[in-house]
Amino acid sequence: MRFASTTVTGTAGLHASRAAIATAGHNIANANTEGFTRQRVEQESYAPAATPGQKPIIGQGPLISNVNRINDQYLDKQVRVAHRDFSGFEDREMSLKQLEDVFNEMNGDGLNRLVSRFFNDFRKLSNDPSNTAVRQAVRESAKALVNDFHRLRNQVDDVRKHIDSRMEGYVSELNSLTKSLAELNVKIKMNQISGASPNDLLDQRDQVLKKIYSFMEVNMFRDESGSYNVDIVNVGPMVSSSNFEKFSVARTPADDQGKPENAFDLKSSASANGVITHAVRGGRIGGLLEVRDKTLSTVLARLDEMAYSITDAVNQVHQQGYSADGRTKVDFFKPLDTIQGAAQKLDLSDDVMSSLHAIATAAVPDAPGDNRIAAAIGRIQHDRIMGDGHSTFDDWYNSIIADVGVASARNAENLSQQKGILNQLTKMREQVSGVSIDEETTKLLQFQHAFDASAKVIQVADEMLKTVLDLKR
Amino acid sequence: MRVTERTNFDVARDSIARSKGRMEKLQFQASTLKKLNAPSDDPTGAAKIMEMRTDKVNNDQFVTNAKLAEMFLSNTDHALGEIGDLLIRAKEIALGQASGASSNESTRLGIAEEVEQLYQQAVAAGNRRIGDRYLFSGYKVHTPAITPDGNYTGDDGQIMTEIAKDVFLAINIPGHEAFNTNPSDSADINRMQEQGTLREPASTQVSPDQNINIFNELKNLRISLLTGDLEGIRTTLERFDDLHGQVMSLRAKVGSRIQGLVGSMDSAERQTITSATLSSNLEDADMAEVLSNLAKEETVFRSALSSSKHLIQPTLLDFLK
Repeated sequence: MRFASTTVTGTAGLHASRAAIATAGHNIANANTEGFTRQRVEQESYAPAATPGQKPIIGQGPLISNVNRINDQYLDKQVRVAHRDFSGFEDREMSLKQLEDVFNEMNGDGLNRLVSRFFNDFRKLSNDPSNTAVRQAVRESAKALVNDFHRLRNQVDDVRKHIDSRMEGYVSELNSLTKSLAELNVKIKMNQISGASPNDLLDQRDQVLKKIYSFMEVNMFRDESGSYNVDIVNVGPMVSSSNFEKFSVARTPADDQGKPENAFDLKSSASANGVITHAVRGGRIGGLLEVRDKTLSTVLARLDEMAYSITDAVNQVHQQGYSADGRTKVDFFKPLDTIQGAAQKLDLSDDVMSSLHAIATAAVPDAPGDNRIAAAIGRIQHDRIMGDGHSTFDDWYNSIIADVGVASARNAENLSQQKGILNQLTKMREQVSGVSIDEETTKLLQFQHAFDASAKVIQVADEMLKTVLDLKR
Repeated sequence: MRVTERTNFDVARDSIARSKGRMEKLQFQASTLKKLNAPSDDPTGAAKIMEMRTDKVNNDQFVTNAKLAEMFLSNTDHALGEIGDLLIRAKEIALGQASGASSNESTRLGIAEEVEQLYQQAVAAGNRRIGDRYLFSGYKVHTPAITPDGNYTGDDGQIMTEIAKDVFLAINIPGHEAFNTNPSDSADINRMQEQGTLREPASTQVSPDQNINIFNELKNLRISLLTGDLEGIRTTLERFDDLHGQVMSLRAKVGSRIQGLVGSMDSAERQTITSATLSSNLEDADMAEVLSNLAKEETVFRSALSSSKHLIQPTLLDFLK
């Protein structure tokens, strides 16, 4: 038996304890690092070595075999997916709340009241067809109606622009994420070849992956070398090993799937024809695109239809009448050719703009008391013109408001539900991978004791050697 | 189960945030006194409230319309009453002067002056105005209904006003109907509602052999008085009866319209109250409920805070010193 080997055993113990203490320190220091996975030193006992004249029966202390991350891949994946859905609802929430604000007239004026005011002013006019002040009121309330259509249209457009500018930001973020994922793939592979365990790079890569997941529906699979390959669902590859695709946005004309004129198309080198706007689902980008191309476009189309029908219905009656200055076939609103964009183009006719007397109230010429046309226009309010003859203008507009409210309420519900799911999963992930300070503190104590004891072993070995050396004296 | 500090903090933060969120919502309800502040709070309720607001605005307009109609109709009634009275007086005169026994040329000449006055009075009543609108001119409201020589210059336009949703009522009696016993064309209250028939008013030509006209009869009476045509005076007698009957039946018609108006105003006002109650149920917050919920939420919030305090504070390190 050699004294030196006992010293070596003590030294190995010192090393192992110090490594464990360092790792506990690393864990504690990173307790609040986003995406950090707690690490554990794997140590095993060093097998006894055979020495001449002695059987290999005495162990040689511990050996640090590895430092592992404690994680559960399946749980990590569930967290990523839940986080993606949560992010999608969260982004939709912001846009839908903005949209709801545009249509909220619970505590103020809006199109609903202006429609009533417009038709009521025609009723007033029918009570006193030749009164210029009432004619003025009719024109003013018609102007207010027109302006409110423009306001709604513009504000919905602003929500759309807001979505586009956020998309632009997301796309540049996504580009830098795919790049860093590819780079991390390479770095990790190199580290692993050299035998290191790149735990912190792995954490970083998982974190980058989680962020990529939050933008759209993607699938990740590992190749045999351990690299992360990411595919966009329904589109194609996003990152494969060290290669990554580029994303960009470009303003393009409207298409038949609800994308408005001049709004961004999402392009990617991942797809053959480059445009992936309508292929992307879920996540932040998918959620925003859905609000922009479905919810907003539907609302605008319904507003357009309403503006067009008001113009058409009022003009039809108005043209039959005779104005105070004896003209007939006068338009009240500027005639519109198409439903598309009607809410934007809606306006009073030049005749009515230039003269109050151009407003027709009478069904026959030269009858200042004849109110039949004015009364007939007032009655349009109750005509079931919209939705194939099922709804009045009021019904139609109220149903837009109700739909906007439903969309917003449903999304808020989904958001809070998804938040609960995400919280639960995050908690489960924390249970596996999170750092418990108490636990690490006990480990510190535990390994400190081991460290002390290992030092003691060296001291004892030293003393033993001294004893032996003193024998001769 | 491993519980980490991070979970502890997350739980604490979450429960505080949730509780604060609920408190904020209640606080907002308390400050607006409404539980429905955005369509998403209750989408169908929001649409219903909009509908009722429209109804209310329209109802208010219908009540205004009805009041205007009432003003027009009661003025029409007064004018007709006046005409009725002067027809009675004309008949009395005719009766008094019809026989040679009770009258002579000088009484007739004197009384012819009074008939002239009656005639002027009738023209004035026929040209009664509200503001600048002639009541009896049909649609030609800016033209006097009766010329000084007793010709009707209006048309048969019925001015209809909407006194309830899709219920229209004529607020005038065209002069040719009021001043003739047998107008060739009597306007119909529903004509305005026939879709698409925004009809030309019929001309006011009246067949002379059947029709009796107030102004003509007054003129006839006067001429007969001046010329001493006792036969002529006697023929007017019966005609004044017919005319008076005609005016009375018109007054009855006007009266029944006014009565209908009052009924419709009452129902419009009742409806306004009903829909106000309904929309209040939908959008107004029950303050007792809001405040008690707020108090409850405050308790929850306090307990979340204090439990967090106990959860977060101690670590093993506190006991190793």
